[in-house]
Amino acid sequence: MTQSRLSLRDFSLLVTLIIIWGFFAVTSPQYLSARNLSALSVELAITATLALGMLLVILPGHIDLSVGSGVGLIGGIAAVLVFNHDWPAILAFLPAIAVALLVWYAQGTLIVRQRIPAFIITLGGLLVFKGVFWLVINTHTVPVAPGGRPNLYSLLTTYYLPPLASYALVAIVFAALAVVAVRARRRRAQMGFAVDDAELAFMKLFLTAQGLILFVLTVNQFRGIPLPVVILGTVALAIQVITRHTPFGRHLYAIGGNEEAAFVSGVPVQKVVIGAFTLLGGIVAITGLMQTAYGGAATTTVGDQMELDAIAACVIGGTSLRGGRGTVLGVIFGALIMASLLNGMTLLAVAPELKFIVRGVVLTLAVWMDVKLAKR
Amino acid sequence: MPALLEARAITKRFPGVTALRDVSFDLQAGEIHALCGENGAGKSTLIKLLSGLHAHGSYEGSFSIAGRTAEFSSIADARLAGLAVIYQELALVPGLTVAENLFLGCEPRRGLLIDWEKLYTDARAALAKVGLDVPADTLVAELGIGQQQLVEIAKALSKETRILILDEPTAALAEREVDILLALLRDLRAQGIACIYISHKLDEVFAISDRITVLRDGSTISTYRAAATSKHAIIRDMVGREIKDLFPRVASAPGEILLRVDHLSVSPASGAPARLRDVSFEVRAGEVLGIGGLMGAGRTELLMHLFGAWGHRLSGDVQLCGRDLRSPTPVTALAGGLALVSEDRKRYGLVLDRDIGFNLSLSSITRLRRGLLVDEENEVRTNQKFFSSLRVKAPSLETAVGTLSGGNQQKVVIGKALMTGPSVVFLDEPTRGIDVGAKLEVYELINRLTAEGKAVVLVSSELPELMGMSDRIVMLHDGEVGGTFTKAEATQEVLIAAAMGSGSRDDRDGRDEKP
Repeated sequence: MTQSRLSLRDFSLLVTLIIIWGFFAVTSPQYLSARNLSALSVELAITATLALGMLLVILPGHIDLSVGSGVGLIGGIAAVLVFNHDWPAILAFLPAIAVALLVWYAQGTLIVRQRIPAFIITLGGLLVFKGVFWLVINTHTVPVAPGGRPNLYSLLTTYYLPPLASYALVAIVFAALAVVAVRARRRRAQMGFAVDDAELAFMKLFLTAQGLILFVLTVNQFRGIPLPVVILGTVALAIQVITRHTPFGRHLYAIGGNEEAAFVSGVPVQKVVIGAFTLLGGIVAITGLMQTAYGGAATTTVGDQMELDAIAACVIGGTSLRGGRGTVLGVIFGALIMASLLNGMTLLAVAPELKFIVRGVVLTLAVWMDVKLAKR
Repeated sequence: MPALLEARAITKRFPGVTALRDVSFDLQAGEIHALCGENGAGKSTLIKLLSGLHAHGSYEGSFSIAGRTAEFSSIADARLAGLAVIYQELALVPGLTVAENLFLGCEPRRGLLIDWEKLYTDARAALAKVGLDVPADTLVAELGIGQQQLVEIAKALSKETRILILDEPTAALAEREVDILLALLRDLRAQGIACIYISHKLDEVFAISDRITVLRDGSTISTYRAAATSKHAIIRDMVGREIKDLFPRVASAPGEILLRVDHLSVSPASGAPARLRDVSFEVRAGEVLGIGGLMGAGRTELLMHLFGAWGHRLSGDVQLCGRDLRSPTPVTALAGGLALVSEDRKRYGLVLDRDIGFNLSLSSITRLRRGLLVDEENEVRTNQKFFSSLRVKAPSLETAVGTLSGGNQQKVVIGKALMTGPSVVFLDEPTRGIDVGAKLEVYELINRLTAEGKAVVLVSSELPELMGMSDRIVMLHDGEVGGTFTKAEATQEVLIAAAMGSGSRDDRDGRDEKP
């Protein structure tokens, strides 16, 4: 049985993205330069990584407003250990990550055991973490690399895979994607499920290959694939496997779809939600280290409003805030749209007040379009 | 005189299926006309079409109301023509008062503000019409289901309704409430209001209707005068074959005790008064234990508590397959070999926007693993097995559960429970809202389960079903055991007496010493 299942909706994100890129390409000649696209890919990696973590708690119908403050706090802890206490970066990462896991485990526990809405708990978290962050850095600017000597911390966003390695990595990634796609298709056909017709399946792979080649050619003109992109790839793969191929992932969707039915079906609802928040904590840590490294130092504003970009990326990417619906690929596209906008506006030196307005309008439009298309 | 409502040669196609094929139907003024048919026979589609949910132009054929061709493009059009539908799932706002609900969206006004005085006066009049004796400022949440239904009807009548369509109105009602509803419908009939009555309960259909039309596979099969036909004929037309035995229970020899409940008392929450008091019973392998009682007797609470999904245990012991089940959760209950099919499949049974496969394997997914990942081939194989053995009617495992008919949804819920490999199966109202054919399949499944040596606990509000399918029956009355009966002892009279608390008949097997 073959069936073509492409609709305008599948392309709406792509169309939005092309419009955004087209606009900035015309208004700012540097937008499509290798240097800028490389920077954009780093910004995308940071936004998307955090958004993928957010997906984990939105799927079971929760939300987290505290991740932005958390990003600042965790990056700040590591920076203080490295700069003020001369710890080696790698050792400084460990307590920072441990704190994040512990704090988000605690938030998750409060939410499910005391039955306080996640919105409230994490709103409290937003404020508390911000305050603790400022205490930790003593409201100073704390660089991630003492004396400007590069260390593991600063390299997080300044290391690039050399061009040759970049080509190799892209080749491996594409080969893996192709094998997985072909295998999955064959298996679905064997089990008697509907599959895309061969032409469409090929087109999808072909487009993916083109995208990857275009990407690597561009970033190689600058310095190669930025390390954050590799980190994003790893996180995305992990989240994809967790949400799609583990019992835990099934449980996330089941809880978001119908929590009572999930409970009566033997889904350990509380454990699963706490698990999702704990994983999010880990991702907040990774994002915090990357974001702080990207700015070069922990300053009082690191992480501001990142929770909103993460939620926006999820929603633009088709995630339902009521839970039960959302995909990794969608979230990455959503993040790409948010990151592209922000990067372009920064390049054009758009005033900050206008930036806020544009981001808000785009978020609203994107969701409105999705709702419209979903109805047809 | 033209019929009040006349539908001629209506055909409605959906992508891939023809839901209605050349259906003709008429309703006379002052008539109650029952519509019978299995789930998926096309009753709902017909109703949606008549009430404007499927707009004019989306179907072939036509219908007229009082001789005028009706071309509705929305529910509002149908309302204006005097047609109101009362659905199985009530559409009231629980946090508003009865009066507010009655006039929701068409509140009487004085200028920009609501005329509260008129609203409450009108509401009292509307309630009087349906004989509902509650203050108009009662919150809907405080009413019982039956009373809420009356509010719905009052709401419909407050708008010049000539045709009332009731879709499974008694599915959730207790017997006394059913009587009140039926009396009201007769009353309305006398006032000239016509009614299309959809129900799976044939006793009611015969008690209330003037004519009965049977739909099957989207076609009208027959229309009878109710007085001139029999249940047997209706069932035959509905399923398209003869059903000789409605309750094909094949008793198997009872084995060891699989579930023992000893002097169990449970409250809704710690500190609250007991809801179940001193309940004792046991179920053996290969046995069907029926649990009956009136609405609110605590049947569902009992099952939900044993399954670990409700209540706070005050005292008592529960043994499942010889092991103590002290403070169960659904996770431990399932692991211990207990499975529950809930009475409310949409709320506790299914993730409606997910597909059949997702729902079937939901309770078993942690066992269908290879390492950390789901073994997807094994999962699909297992799903396929239950999908075909339960004869779920759907294009594939990837069909969204929300699009299935009630009977097929129920099969998915049952399949999910059975996939966990339970020794004791709780079935709470397993045939509610499903058609005769699917009911029979559930009964056959019960036989199969007991033949395999599983124990079945069957909760049912329908006495014939309870008596027909159980080997022993426990009647609950107000949270206590009102009596335990063997199949031979169980007659309608003694069961009802026990349910009303006037049975005064203790457990026969003598191990129960009452204070």
